[in-house]
Amino acid sequence: MSEAQLLSGPGPAQPAPAPAGAVPPGPVPRARRARRPVTLITVASLVCAVLALPLVFLLVEADGAGTSGVLSMVFRRLTGDLVWNTVRLSLVVTFLCAVIGTGAAWCIERTDLPGRRVWEVLVIVPLAIPDFVVSFGWASLWNWVQGFKGAVLVMTLAVYPLVYLPVAASLRAADPGQEEVARSLGVGRVRTFLRITLGQAKGAILGGCLLVAMVMLAEYGAFEILGYQTFTTEIFTEFSLSFSVPAACALSLVLVALSLLVLAGEGAARGRGRISRAGGFAARKLPPRRLGRARLPVLAAFGVLTALALGVPVGSSVYWMFDGGAHAIAGASVPSALLTTASYGLAAAAADTAATLPLALLAVRHSSRVRLLLERSTYLVLAMPGVVTAFALSYFTERYGGGLLYQSAPLLVLCYAIMFFPLALVGVKASLARAPASLDDMARSLGQRRLVVLYRVTLRLAGPGLAAAFCLVFLSVVTELTATLLLIPTGVQTLASQFWAYESNLSYGQAAPFALVMIAIAALPSYVLSRFFDRSAHTQEMTT
Amino acid sequence: MTQLAVAGLNKAFGKRPILSDVRLDVPEGSLTAILGPSGSGKTTLLRIIAGFEHADSGTVTIGPITVDGPGLQIPPERRRIGYVPQEGALFPHLTVAANIGFGLPPRERSGPAVAELLAAIGLTGLGERYPHQLSGGQQQRVALARALAIKPKLVLLDEPFASLDAHLRASIRAEVRDLLRAAGATALLVTHDQDEALSTADRVAVLRDGRVAQCAAPQDLYSSPADPELARFIGDANLVQGVLGDGLVDTILGKLKVAPAGLDPIPPGPVTVLVRPEQVELRPQNGSGHRPASLAGRVIAFGYHGHDAVVHVQPEPDGDAPAIIVRTPSGRRLEPGSPVCLRARGPVLAWPRAS
Repeated sequence: MSEAQLLSGPGPAQPAPAPAGAVPPGPVPRARRARRPVTLITVASLVCAVLALPLVFLLVEADGAGTSGVLSMVFRRLTGDLVWNTVRLSLVVTFLCAVIGTGAAWCIERTDLPGRRVWEVLVIVPLAIPDFVVSFGWASLWNWVQGFKGAVLVMTLAVYPLVYLPVAASLRAADPGQEEVARSLGVGRVRTFLRITLGQAKGAILGGCLLVAMVMLAEYGAFEILGYQTFTTEIFTEFSLSFSVPAACALSLVLVALSLLVLAGEGAARGRGRISRAGGFAARKLPPRRLGRARLPVLAAFGVLTALALGVPVGSSVYWMFDGGAHAIAGASVPSALLTTASYGLAAAAADTAATLPLALLAVRHSSRVRLLLERSTYLVLAMPGVVTAFALSYFTERYGGGLLYQSAPLLVLCYAIMFFPLALVGVKASLARAPASLDDMARSLGQRRLVVLYRVTLRLAGPGLAAAFCLVFLSVVTELTATLLLIPTGVQTLASQFWAYESNLSYGQAAPFALVMIAIAALPSYVLSRFFDRSAHTQEMTT
Repeated sequence: MTQLAVAGLNKAFGKRPILSDVRLDVPEGSLTAILGPSGSGKTTLLRIIAGFEHADSGTVTIGPITVDGPGLQIPPERRRIGYVPQEGALFPHLTVAANIGFGLPPRERSGPAVAELLAAIGLTGLGERYPHQLSGGQQQRVALARALAIKPKLVLLDEPFASLDAHLRASIRAEVRDLLRAAGATALLVTHDQDEALSTADRVAVLRDGRVAQCAAPQDLYSSPADPELARFIGDANLVQGVLGDGLVDTILGKLKVAPAGLDPIPPGPVTVLVRPEQVELRPQNGSGHRPASLAGRVIAFGYHGHDAVVHVQPEPDGDAPAIIVRTPSGRRLEPGSPVCLRARGPVLAWPRAS
């Protein structure tokens, strides 16, 4: 889930999505049509071409596997079953996430719930725990957690923050005056909540729900542990166990189509999620709604939620670590796996930060037509669940690339870089927006050359944001499982893959430390980062 | 000697022309203001001179060097032009001293030049502060010092006072002018505020629809505008109709002497006459009726300004005539509806009117 999961932090958490490059509403109607930045456009096009590789590979592979073969695979019974499984699970989990996420957001942002600042953290942290670890935490303790029921339980607890984050951000940014006006117009308390409060958050709720749906499409590890069959698990099986390429191609194409459908919905939801407010005045805080007699039940609900979403996975890992029985099989030690993971993560993060820079510069500084093109191109990536990207890269390098790069570390890093590119782009764009073009003009008029200006001004100002984007990609790599399993070089283990090896072997005691290390690495920084982006989006709004 | 010469400059964004055939000469050591309403192309002109934009045709020459022309665009960093934008655009990640020294070679950045400039703008001791710790006026002075640090051939100021509070504006304006004079800098100030242009600059170029409508010293611009529209743009103006004959023009405000208007004498016939509000004399109407040479009217608005008052008077009985604006030193309040007599003093300006 990592990709869409972390996207939610910087993405829809911004009230008005990615206003970075948009013309500020201030009194600066200045046509900025500088010379066409040829170098920048060339580099950006190259980056986009790399991003498109998996899709191109997939189409080449489907063609090579024979169109009729692929088509017959698409229209078989299994596909229907998988669609049913995926859709049914997505609907139920999305609904539950919407209820829990919105409810939690409202309680934390708008009521006098005791300990709001603490709950705020505890409610977000589960997002950073990899889904397959949550799944492991539950399934390893209780047998009944499996199949559809288990998937609903585990996935809801793992991804509800995807709804919570954007809804909380939108409630923070919404004009509280509207509720007051509604009340003054004679609309009752409950109907005000339904019509105004929920209305204000509608776009955010919808956006969050679609993110949840994206995760449902892309998740592999959790479903594998729970024995629940979806497109992703089936593609994985067909490709890596049955070596049936036509089947893997066919399923991948259907999965990409489904993702595109969800993405289109998400785009529409974002468009409607904008918050309009007359005048640039800062948002007033509404006096918090008093919970009164509901206080204890609400507190209890938060306690239960935290216990289930955070307590069980962490507790279960700790339990297995101390009571895991004999060490059954040999594998990489935690430090060595950590080292591998870190080196992959650093490489992918560096590649992404560097590769997003030209695109972000174009998007923030140049015409809307270029920006549109670039945004579309990142959709190419978002629509490709990790399993499809990994499958396309892996098979292509083996079959058509003459084994070049096949199962090599650079290929895995490339795969990570492609998968998490949109994540890095959001962060880099936000950070570049903090370095306005007027400062560049200024520096040049003071006699500094273009590259010197980039170094002395632009990068200095964008520095913290760039670092944050770097960290986001790094953390996503740490908790990535699907692509890792498909592409990892022989004889090497990352934290996730070693965890998986132990877990599959039911060596829970050996798997547990890896789970805990991943949680420790991902949880805290994710929280800090999500706050960082939220805040920077906020100040940006205030200053434009 | 001319320090900046702009000739035949054209610029369009897409099909929309922004600047057409702009000509402008700025003498060395002078402060010239470009005055125009928003959207008149002033900022574009400034950005072309600074090198951020390229003109479609025409030339920009600084000193002896042409910096922008057909097939030629010297990049901004090689023009040595100090630029002070509206919002100051101080680098938020650098201290005040580092901002001022930004354009200097690395070794001079912490040298005496920066300290001298800090002293010149009255911020000695604040060099280690960051821009956000300064007031708006202080930031604007730092921005100017930063521009002056590179010993520019020309300083461009793009509405530098627009974001300041009204009460700060006048004092900062004077301070900036003094700093520029002391540095002997040639400067170009862009503004939409005519008060600012008239009070600060040595010369004012009025930019209208992408053209320089007139470029003159402030007094000349006020006393002899090139056409009626400019007359209305610079200061308050009463434009009344009249008939010229014999060196006198006959208007509703009486027979007035016409000022000699440049080289071409105006042929007798219908004219448009400019009467400035302070050229009109206002008297309360008393019971004995008004003198035949004056215009009767009723007060429709009274604006008190302390040092003087501005009165709008509707001429009677001709209800269709435009209201006459009168500036009177008397602070006595006139209620709307009060009957008054008006009388103008020449000499006035006149332009031929197509009949």
